[in-house]
Amino acid sequence: MKALTLLTIFLLVAFSTASKSLARNIDLSTVPDRQTVQLTIYNSEDLTFVRETRTVTFKEGNNPLQFSWANTLIDPTSVEITFKTRPDGLALVDTTFPHDKPKMLYWNVQSDFDGEATIQISYFTSGISWSSDYVCISDTDEREMSFEGFVRVLNSSGEDYEAAQIRLVVGTINLVEKIAQLAQITISQAEELREQESAKFGILRKQAALSVMVRRGRAVAAAPAPKKVIKEGLSEYFIYTIEGTETIPNGWSKRMRSFEGQTVPFRIQYRYRPAEYGDRLVRLYLLTNNEDSKLGTTPLPDGVVRVFRDNGRDGLSFLATQSIKYIPIGDKIELNLGPDPNVIFELIKLKAHRDNIWMQVRGGNVFRRVGQPGVQIDVRSTVAGWDDHSTQSQRIRNYSAKDIEVQVRRAWPGHVRFRSSLPAVKRHDFQTVQFTTKVDAGEKQDNLFEVVTLQGRNQKQNNVTIEATRITG
Amino acid sequence: MRPSPLTFKVISGLLITVTAAMAEARIKLITLPVRERVEIQLDHPNATLVEEERIVPLVKGVNQVDFSWANTKIDSGTILFRVLEPGDGPQLDVNVLSVSYPPGENALVWQVAAGDSGSARVRISYLLGNLKKSFNYRAVVAHDETTLDLRQYMRVMNLANEAFDATGVWAGFGQRFLKPIGINETKEMLIDRFAAVPLNKTYTASVHEFGYIDQPKKKLRVPMHYVLNNDRDNHMGKAPLPFGKVRIFQDDGKGTTAFIGEDWGRFTPVDDKIKLYLGVAQDVSIKRTIEKNQRHRIAGNLYNVELIVNYEIENFKDQPVVLDVAEQLVNLRNEFWKNTGRDVEWELGEKTSFPNGLDREESTFDKVLFHAPLPARDANDKSGKAKKIIHRLHITFKNEW
Repeated sequence: MKALTLLTIFLLVAFSTASKSLARNIDLSTVPDRQTVQLTIYNSEDLTFVRETRTVTFKEGNNPLQFSWANTLIDPTSVEITFKTRPDGLALVDTTFPHDKPKMLYWNVQSDFDGEATIQISYFTSGISWSSDYVCISDTDEREMSFEGFVRVLNSSGEDYEAAQIRLVVGTINLVEKIAQLAQITISQAEELREQESAKFGILRKQAALSVMVRRGRAVAAAPAPKKVIKEGLSEYFIYTIEGTETIPNGWSKRMRSFEGQTVPFRIQYRYRPAEYGDRLVRLYLLTNNEDSKLGTTPLPDGVVRVFRDNGRDGLSFLATQSIKYIPIGDKIELNLGPDPNVIFELIKLKAHRDNIWMQVRGGNVFRRVGQPGVQIDVRSTVAGWDDHSTQSQRIRNYSAKDIEVQVRRAWPGHVRFRSSLPAVKRHDFQTVQFTTKVDAGEKQDNLFEVVTLQGRNQKQNNVTIEATRITG
Repeated sequence: MRPSPLTFKVISGLLITVTAAMAEARIKLITLPVRERVEIQLDHPNATLVEEERIVPLVKGVNQVDFSWANTKIDSGTILFRVLEPGDGPQLDVNVLSVSYPPGENALVWQVAAGDSGSARVRISYLLGNLKKSFNYRAVVAHDETTLDLRQYMRVMNLANEAFDATGVWAGFGQRFLKPIGINETKEMLIDRFAAVPLNKTYTASVHEFGYIDQPKKKLRVPMHYVLNNDRDNHMGKAPLPFGKVRIFQDDGKGTTAFIGEDWGRFTPVDDKIKLYLGVAQDVSIKRTIEKNQRHRIAGNLYNVELIVNYEIENFKDQPVVLDVAEQLVNLRNEFWKNTGRDVEWELGEKTSFPNGLDREESTFDKVLFHAPLPARDANDKSGKAKKIIHRLHITFKNEW
């Protein structure tokens, strides 16, 4: 479907300057074809920068060109024309947006010669998007995996883009107005909106896009090998350039592999972190986006990861689907596979008691500790402060065939003393205690600890302190 | 036979790129590779993975492999296309170039490049909705109620609107089955059988769990359970037992069985107990009264609360039984003191009279469990009376206010 047209207009009606009316009823036009087209698609915004070239025959003098984009989602404020050949002999005199013909503009081009020239038209459009997704397949032993990244381009712009060079921008750009919104209004309405905004921010969008537009030569026909996706860093962005050209008709989407890592090493850790994974122990594959892990050629854009495992029976097991956020080169990749029915995780409260009880005498400012030798406490006193002691066991039963590593991170609000002799116990933050332990295959482990919570007037802080003490059940 | 809603086509070399013209009429030759093998993987708790293998004829150059589905719930994002290595013979050089998704259709088109003309074995994997599994169990209890035979079944319900011929089915444990599963068909398969599993028949009185059978008379409801241990010592313990209905029959001693009840068996990890509720035991009677409720002031508004709970127990059965008596201590404290929201700090008193004391294995910081052996009713006593056994729980809740 072709919605964009460029017309060169041969004037039958007087039409020599921009000051004259463009209204006319009889036109004769030629339609120069699009020769090349390049799409630069941003995934953080509904924004695509389109740059196309066409060859136009100019006559000496003024040459009116009409550019229209019915049924598309082009931002009229972004349409620009530049002259790729013979720029010294061509000059853009003015641009007119007719009030009675939305989605159309006229350029008056002054030419010093009769002959052909290549022009470039660029504009922003919405309705083209791209996304990433990943497929991981672990080996049977769960030591290595294949890790494939894909990009999928969806064209809902209203325009067919044939043989287009496609570049995908990874990163978050700043837009002060949505392209889809600008595409729905006339140029005069857009100008009104623009005047309300600061001029310096109004052009940031254009600068952001233009700064990443490094033209590359068009690649030729598809080879029988998968196309390469070239990754380059630029400023705060990463650009994926898909080798050669692609045709993506309106409404279609196309998915291509962007990178692949084979035998990517990873390790397994079980984690209890209620704030991140809910109130359950989950199993994770942990790997790193770096060269040592046979990855690290590109940051991983936001996307969905689907995780499978070779089940050792000439088939796959589906493990999980997870969305990931942008992962820079060198950063960790954490794939949450959910609970493992072969690992049982229980928090068992073994006993509770209270001590260090303080009484407030007659509601005044006098406090007495219960059990203090030689001190008589008035019967009209009330409990004002105490310490709650709770002995608990974090029981882990490992019925899987492998030794496992378990990390427990649990928050204890209030003024808390955490007493234990647990391995590698530490404070994750002011109120969160973390410890990591290993449980052999087929073994049960009781991780004992005592939590002392200072209550009432005994509470002086709102944090956890860790005390090394041997706890018995 | 209904045509399959899944179609798989290889379009020979007339078209190199996918264009909008795909939907238009054109001369083309389509081959329809059949399924060579299908596996249904049911090892994920919430998803069903279908894997199918087909032998795909490819011509040298770029081929289009078209996969479409109608009226089935395939998660298109999960579709994997993998070329398998041949068991023997030369490997065809095959590359998947890209996948195109047409608008408004449940379909996709792989662009597959082949280095030469030939056939490639490919495996397509996808998550399929409405193909579900459930588990159920059938237990036959020995006449003397000391052991049972337990059979574990998996039921696969195919509501996916797709028929599967001779399909491998695997639950993630146990054996793999090779079965045809037709559209809207449900197939039940025996996964495992556990023979002569020792059975523990329990009677439990726990007012805060099971309530009263006659509240004005303070008579407690006494449910009867069968308790099994999912461990190797008890001829089980191969894998966790998934949630499912357990139907229980008993050998009636006459060569046949009688249905005696059913219950939902919860997910039971290895080494855990599965407890099946059979019904209320009417012949074991227990009356719970409070003999003592006394506060002891420590200081000001701080008290220890002393309670003696009295249990009058009678067994009207002709066999001796053991009654489990449990108290939820937070509920007990709340019942006779007040709900403070705090943990209970407690101490057993010397008047606690259960013969073997507290069951420390099963008791927790807020639950106590005792076992009361009860003799059989004297069959020679024509009055029909049972011996009344009296036990006490003497407990002090400490530092309450």
